[in-house]
Amino acid sequence: MRRAVHIVGSGLLCARGDAPGTVADALWAGECSHDQRQVGERSFPYYRLPLLETDWLARAEAAVRQVAGQLGELPPDTPLFVASSSFQIGHFEQAGADRELPAATASFSRHLAAWMGLSGARHSLSNACISGFSAIDAARSLIAAGQIEEAVILGIELDNASTLAGFAGMELLSRTRCRPFDAERDGLALGEAVAAIHLSARPGRWRIAGLHTGIDAWSTTGPNPDGTPIAQTMQACLAEAGLSPGDIELIKLQAAGSPGTDLAEANALRTAFGQRMPPLLSLKPMLGHTLGASGIAELTALIACLDADHIPATAGFSRVDPEIALFPMVERSTVHVERALLNLIGFGGGLASLALVRQ
Amino acid sequence: MSYLQIALSQQLAPAEVPAAVRAALGKPLRRAAPLTQLALIGALACLPAERRGLPTALLWQSTRGPRQETRLLLEEISEGTAEPMPYDFLATQPAIAAAQIQPFIPGLRSASYFPLDTPGTADWSLLLTLATNWLAEGRYAQVLCTHLDHSQTTAEGQWLCLTQAALENPPARLQIGAMATPGALPDTPDFPAHLAHWLAGKLDSPLQLRSATTSQLAVEFARL
Repeated sequence: MRRAVHIVGSGLLCARGDAPGTVADALWAGECSHDQRQVGERSFPYYRLPLLETDWLARAEAAVRQVAGQLGELPPDTPLFVASSSFQIGHFEQAGADRELPAATASFSRHLAAWMGLSGARHSLSNACISGFSAIDAARSLIAAGQIEEAVILGIELDNASTLAGFAGMELLSRTRCRPFDAERDGLALGEAVAAIHLSARPGRWRIAGLHTGIDAWSTTGPNPDGTPIAQTMQACLAEAGLSPGDIELIKLQAAGSPGTDLAEANALRTAFGQRMPPLLSLKPMLGHTLGASGIAELTALIACLDADHIPATAGFSRVDPEIALFPMVERSTVHVERALLNLIGFGGGLASLALVRQ
Repeated sequence: MSYLQIALSQQLAPAEVPAAVRAALGKPLRRAAPLTQLALIGALACLPAERRGLPTALLWQSTRGPRQETRLLLEEISEGTAEPMPYDFLATQPAIAAAQIQPFIPGLRSASYFPLDTPGTADWSLLLTLATNWLAEGRYAQVLCTHLDHSQTTAEGQWLCLTQAALENPPARLQIGAMATPGALPDTPDFPAHLAHWLAGKLDSPLQLRSATTSQLAVEFARL
C-alpha cells in the first residue's frame, strides 16, 4: 500500500504572528522587525514570540496551547511527532543550580502531548535544523504505508541562552540582520517558533509529493561549498515527486544569511535547476532561523502565503554576491503557485528537501 | 518484509570507548562526543567493509541522550561566561554524529536521532517499521537501528541491521503490522538482547515486538 499524504491543518506562532493567516499578512506587509538578545558583551538580533509569560514552562505551555487550538479538535489518539533541537533546555537554565535533568532526554515531549490533548503515540526527533522535515518523513512513511491514518508534527524552538551562546561562540551569528544571498551577509539571526501541521491520508489542499533527506559530511558546521550533496538531495526529492526542475514554480530557500551555507545552496541550485531557476524566497529575515522548528514553521507560513496567492519579498537582500550570482525575490508577487520546493540545510550536515503540490 | 542481518549488543566501560574506536579505525576519532563514538563502533561492527559503501540509513534512539555534555554546557552558561567552548556546545548536538561517521561509512545517506521521553521504554517498533518501509521503497540497501546510552558508569549500544534482500544466511525476517499476541515482548531499550537470545534458542514460534502505543506497528520476527 502506498497512499498520498496531505496537509489538512496547521498552526503557527512566531515573531510575525499567532496564526498562519496573520503571519502571511505580516509577511505580505514586509514586516521583519526583531528584538535583540545579549550574550555576554555582544548583542544579536533575535525573533521573540509575542508572549507575556516569564516562567519558561508556563510560556511554553501558552505557546503550545495556542498552536494546538489552531489545529482544531483532534482525536486524542492522534500520533504526535515532536521536532526540536533544544527541547526544554531553557527551563533547565531558568531552574539554575537546582536543576535536575530528567532520566529521559525528551521528557518534555510528554508535557507537549498533554498540553495538546494528545494521549496516543509520541515520537521525538532532533536532527538540528532539519528536525521538522525528518519528523514529516517518518510520519508520512507510516501514513503512506497504511500503518497510521493521521499524525500531528509539532516543531518547537523556544528561547534559551545555550543555543544562542553556542552559535555565538562559533561565530555563526550576524550582529545586525539576516541577509540571504546578499554580498554583505554575515551570519544567522535566531528566533523562536512553535508550529504544527496535521498530516492525513484524507485529501487536503496540499500534498507532500516528495521528501528526501541527506547528509553533507564536509564539516560539522558547514556544507561542501560546491553544493553537490544539496543538489543531490533536491534532485532525489524531485524524482520521488515525479517532477522536473521546470515544474517547480517557487523555492523556499534555506538561505539564512550564512556566508558558507548560502554559497553552497546557490551552487546546488545551479546544478539542480540550471537555466530553469524558479523564483527564490527566504523566510528567515522575517521569522528568524528557528532551528528545529524552522521546517514546520516555514512550511506552515509558506502554505498560508500560497493559499492567499501572496508571496512576500525576501527582506534583507540588497546587493548580489558575484560568487552566488543568484538573488531571491525582492518584489512581492501574486502569482498562483501549484508546486513548490522547500530546502533545509542543517547544522551538523543534515539536508532535506520537500516538494509541495497543490491539490 | 525485510531481513534481519545482525542483532548486536555492546557493553563497554566508558573509558574503553576511545580505545574501541582506535581499534576499529586505527586512529582516534577527534572531537567526537561519546554517543558519536559509540555509534561509530556499533555501525562498523554491524557492517562488513564490503557493505559500508551501500546506501545506508541510521535510525538511532537514546534514553539519556548527551546528558553529561548538556550538564556541562548548562554549568558554563549559568556561570555567566557568556559563550561556551565550541566543542562543549557541539557535544550537546547529537545530529552532528552523522557527519562524523559518514567518512567511515561512505554509503551513509541519512541519519535521524530519536530522543526518548520515558525511561525503560524504547521506539524500536517505529524504527523497524520505518526501516522496513524504506527498504521496501528501495531508498536504502540497509538500515541500522540502534539504541545508544552513555553514562559515567556504562556505555551501551543495542543494534539491529536490516536489509531488503536476504543476504547470506540471514537469521530472521521481519513483518510489520502483525497482531500482537499475549507473549509479545514490550518495546524496551534492550530488545535486541532478547532477540539475540531467541535467535540462539530452538523455538520455531515467531517472536513479536509490541509497540507501546501503536498496535499497527507490531513487529514479528520469523526464524529462517
